[in-house]
Amino acid sequence: MTSNGKPLLEVEGLVMHYQTKRGQVSAIEGVTFTLHHGESLGLVGESGCGKTSVAMSLMGLAADNARYLSGQIRLEGENLLALSEDEMRRRRWKSISMVFQGAMNSWNPVYRVGDQIREAMDLHIHPKLSEAAAKGRMARLFEMVGLNPAMLVRFPHEFSGGMRQRAVIAMALSCDPKLIIADEPTTALDVIVQDQILKELKKIQDQLGMALIYISHDIAVIAEVTDTIGVMYAGKLVEYGSTLEVFHRPRHPYAYLLLSSTPSITGPRRKLAPLEGEPPNLLDPPSGCRFHPRCPFVTDQCRTEDPPFIDIAPGHKVACWNWQQVPVTIGASA
Amino acid sequence: MTDTLAPPSPGVEATLHDPLWRVRLRLMRRSLKLNWKLFSANRIGLIGLTIIAIFAVMAIAHPILMATQWSAQIYHPVTGYDAPVVEKLVVDEVTDPLTQIDVATARIQLNPFIDVGETLSIRSQPAPPTFSGLTPHYLGTDPLGRDILSQLLYSTRAAFFLGVIAAVVTVFIATAVGSASAYFGGWIDTLLMRFADLILLVPLLPVLIVVSALFDISLPLLGLVIGILSGFGGTAIILKSQALQVKVKPFIDAARIAGGGHTHLIFRHIIPNVLPLSFLYMMFTVTEAISLEATLSFLGLLSIPMSWGIMINVASSQGYLLSGTDYWWLLMPAGLAVSMLAASFFLVGRALDEVVNPRLRHR
Amino acid sequence: MLKFIGKRLVQGVLLLMVFLALVYLLLEAQPGDITQQLISDPDIPPEAQRMLAAQLGLDQPLAGRVFTYVINFFQGDLGVSFTQYPTPVSQLILERLPRTVVLFLSATLLAYYLGFGLGKIMAWRRGKFTETALTLGGVAGYTVFYPWFAIMMLWFFGFILDWFPLGKFTDVAEWSGAPMSPNQVFMRFMISIFAVSALVLAVFVIARTMKTERLQRIVWRTGFGVLLVSFVAYWWFSPLRPWVGDLLHHTALPVITLACVAFASVMLLTRSAMLETLREDYILTARAKGLSDRAIRDKHAARNALLPVVTALVLALAFVISGGIITEGVFSWPGLGQMLLNATLLEDIPLATGTLGIIGILALVGHIIADVAYMYLDPRIRYS
Repeated sequence: MTSNGKPLLEVEGLVMHYQTKRGQVSAIEGVTFTLHHGESLGLVGESGCGKTSVAMSLMGLAADNARYLSGQIRLEGENLLALSEDEMRRRRWKSISMVFQGAMNSWNPVYRVGDQIREAMDLHIHPKLSEAAAKGRMARLFEMVGLNPAMLVRFPHEFSGGMRQRAVIAMALSCDPKLIIADEPTTALDVIVQDQILKELKKIQDQLGMALIYISHDIAVIAEVTDTIGVMYAGKLVEYGSTLEVFHRPRHPYAYLLLSSTPSITGPRRKLAPLEGEPPNLLDPPSGCRFHPRCPFVTDQCRTEDPPFIDIAPGHKVACWNWQQVPVTIGASA
Repeated sequence: MTDTLAPPSPGVEATLHDPLWRVRLRLMRRSLKLNWKLFSANRIGLIGLTIIAIFAVMAIAHPILMATQWSAQIYHPVTGYDAPVVEKLVVDEVTDPLTQIDVATARIQLNPFIDVGETLSIRSQPAPPTFSGLTPHYLGTDPLGRDILSQLLYSTRAAFFLGVIAAVVTVFIATAVGSASAYFGGWIDTLLMRFADLILLVPLLPVLIVVSALFDISLPLLGLVIGILSGFGGTAIILKSQALQVKVKPFIDAARIAGGGHTHLIFRHIIPNVLPLSFLYMMFTVTEAISLEATLSFLGLLSIPMSWGIMINVASSQGYLLSGTDYWWLLMPAGLAVSMLAASFFLVGRALDEVVNPRLRHR
Repeated sequence: MLKFIGKRLVQGVLLLMVFLALVYLLLEAQPGDITQQLISDPDIPPEAQRMLAAQLGLDQPLAGRVFTYVINFFQGDLGVSFTQYPTPVSQLILERLPRTVVLFLSATLLAYYLGFGLGKIMAWRRGKFTETALTLGGVAGYTVFYPWFAIMMLWFFGFILDWFPLGKFTDVAEWSGAPMSPNQVFMRFMISIFAVSALVLAVFVIARTMKTERLQRIVWRTGFGVLLVSFVAYWWFSPLRPWVGDLLHHTALPVITLACVAFASVMLLTRSAMLETLREDYILTARAKGLSDRAIRDKHAARNALLPVVTALVLALAFVISGGIITEGVFSWPGLGQMLLNATLLEDIPLATGTLGIIGILALVGHIIADVAYMYLDPRIRYS
């Protein structure tokens, strides 16, 4: 992948609501971030915080009742939201591909795995690959993810869960995308396989140099795989920065509490700081900062004014009025 | 006097002093209320029930009417006879057989001196519906002069009777077969399931047709035969799998340890848990039985006095099969009655499916 | 897979034997002595009676009689018809069997082809009105009183619209100058249909072996087109054309009527199977890969929805057979069903029971085909 310094993906002020019978669900509220070629970004947050909505929006696969109220998604300068369905279809898988949650069910049970991968390649690779070239390419992909190329002619039910997951990754790579989105790709697998796949993914990304967005609710996993991390809460991006920095010195209260709630086997023993309360109802989100009902550092301003997403250090952004109040050491209570 | 079936206080189902039968009754009443709520949430079930209720009223109405309003000579569904007087216009060519008669027939049959343009009062059968006079026939008469409405109401009884017999026999046999197959397993299971495969193989109608050639089939016998053949078939297989699910539950083991013998386990534990599903399939059996009887009667293969199928059969054998709209009262009421009653049980069955089958419930 | 077919065949034959044994026992259960009834027809001379008695094993104990009956059946000896003495039952059945098979097959194919195609498209339509209309239509289709429906069809399309004749196989007047009997014409037409179908299947198989998808399409389309055109041309220019036309004219409405009700339930079943399938994850993946809506619907969703629909084929079989019998009765169409009905009304016992046995065989064959088809379509079963 060549990168000439220009960013690969720019998401700017994305606002999206779901139109439901009970009202509007505010799913994405002003998300902004930039991704460069070959960079890996982790999106972390609780269930329902909007990370999957962001991913689906990037692919143009959001539900029928999704309404984009403002913002842009620019892929190499081109606004994806402005494209027609046909144009978007041409870009799917070729520019951006995705590994879904529970990818084991991503396979159609009645067709061979190789045929399903071939289908994507035939659609997006022009001129169409010959039989031999396609087979060779798929064999290489399988080897890359650690699978025996002989399995290409088998049916999905003949693969184990972990093998299916790897095959999905192979399929996602098949058209040489510039960006892969992985939405909780290892959640359903046991820890050992999870570890293996994560390592494979990292290796592949280094080898091929494509960008990666890794979505998870498991902060530990994200820390292993990504360079940059974005913490989402209730549809907003609340902290963004390099993984190392955010991990060791989170500035947003939510990120801070999140990291404090993970016990460490190797680190020093410390008191766990619990996260009180529940995520807000997105039909009727709280006023001001959406986190304020649960925040231990809350002040009056937080209740009325929504904090802007500001730079507090080069490449490190936070959306909090009181970010300076957040303790330096993880585990120290407010 | 307080309601002895009501619980002693809200939320408390029973006290230690209540006799067991009373507790059981209370629990039954509570689950009935719950099931009714689930059932009535679905509109189609209610529609089905309403239609069944209407037909039930029809069935009851007939003997009442025969006893009070209708004289047997005219209105008896099988032996009654009436040929109402109808005015017909004498014409050269008949375009509407109900109101016209051609001049040749009129001259031969009635009055050799009659001419075109005159009207004739003749007795006609089948007669169109008449609503006034001494003997009104609200749905007309059939080709043999019998009142259609009376036949329709009378046949409702036959339909219900048949449906109930078939359904009860099916439930009985299917539950027994399913439970035995699941509980005992081994060669009993193999034998019963192979037999069920055989039943599933051949459709019921041809078998019944041949049976009717060999035997004289009356209504109760037909119900019995349908019940037996359905009972050993697909329903038994479904009930067996349900019984199997019950069999592996821990409370069965507990009961066995507590000293329960085969009879106790089967009748006290397995069957009560299989029964709701049996009840469900009973509905579909009634649908099938009603349609089967009507078909066989239509084909002229049964020896029963009167049913909807026979009404259509009479119409067809007397040559009115293609009468369509001209003689609509010969075919439409009977055909509609069969379809509607069969459909109503089917709808009830579908709605019951949602109550009994927890996976299908809309929460 | 061959092992599977073999196993099913063996099971089927065993079931058939049990079935025939039961039919015979039913015969015996009649009031009156079956042995006397079978041989006491006054038209049969006494020597023939004695021969018949020996042949049927009537001097043997019950088990022997059952056994003899079943063995005779498998050897093709179904007895001799009472009403058409001395014609053997097997001959009568053989004459009518192809017609009924054609009726059943064409009705089933029509219903399934249209039903599946339409159901596939209807799945894409949601909305309150469509849902209610389809549910009502489905219930109506499933519970309508079939004889009444058949009468109405005959009345409407035959009597009112005059598009089709009012039943029967042929228009007797038209056949007065015909070079051969209706049966012969029918048989020729049927043989040609089977031959063409076999060739079409061959073309299909050959097309699949082609290397590229484009070649596949070309081979298939030209092959199919050539066969279709030559088939139509052959009969169009054949001297038998008016008589074949008459046969088809008489057969069309029974086929359509029988197909109607089956079509309704197939369509609804396909639609609900499609709706279920569309919720699966691999559909989302297909969309993410950038496939067009049409490709998703036909290649991914429909192919999976096919499985429960084929399963339902087994149930539809029972309906097609029963419905076919009623259809033949209402339309006076001379197939096996009508023969069964007449035999029953005339109490021609050997003919009735023989026909029942054959119907059992038809049902069995249909079952096995459906099972094998399902096994072929679901790779999870084929390669396990």
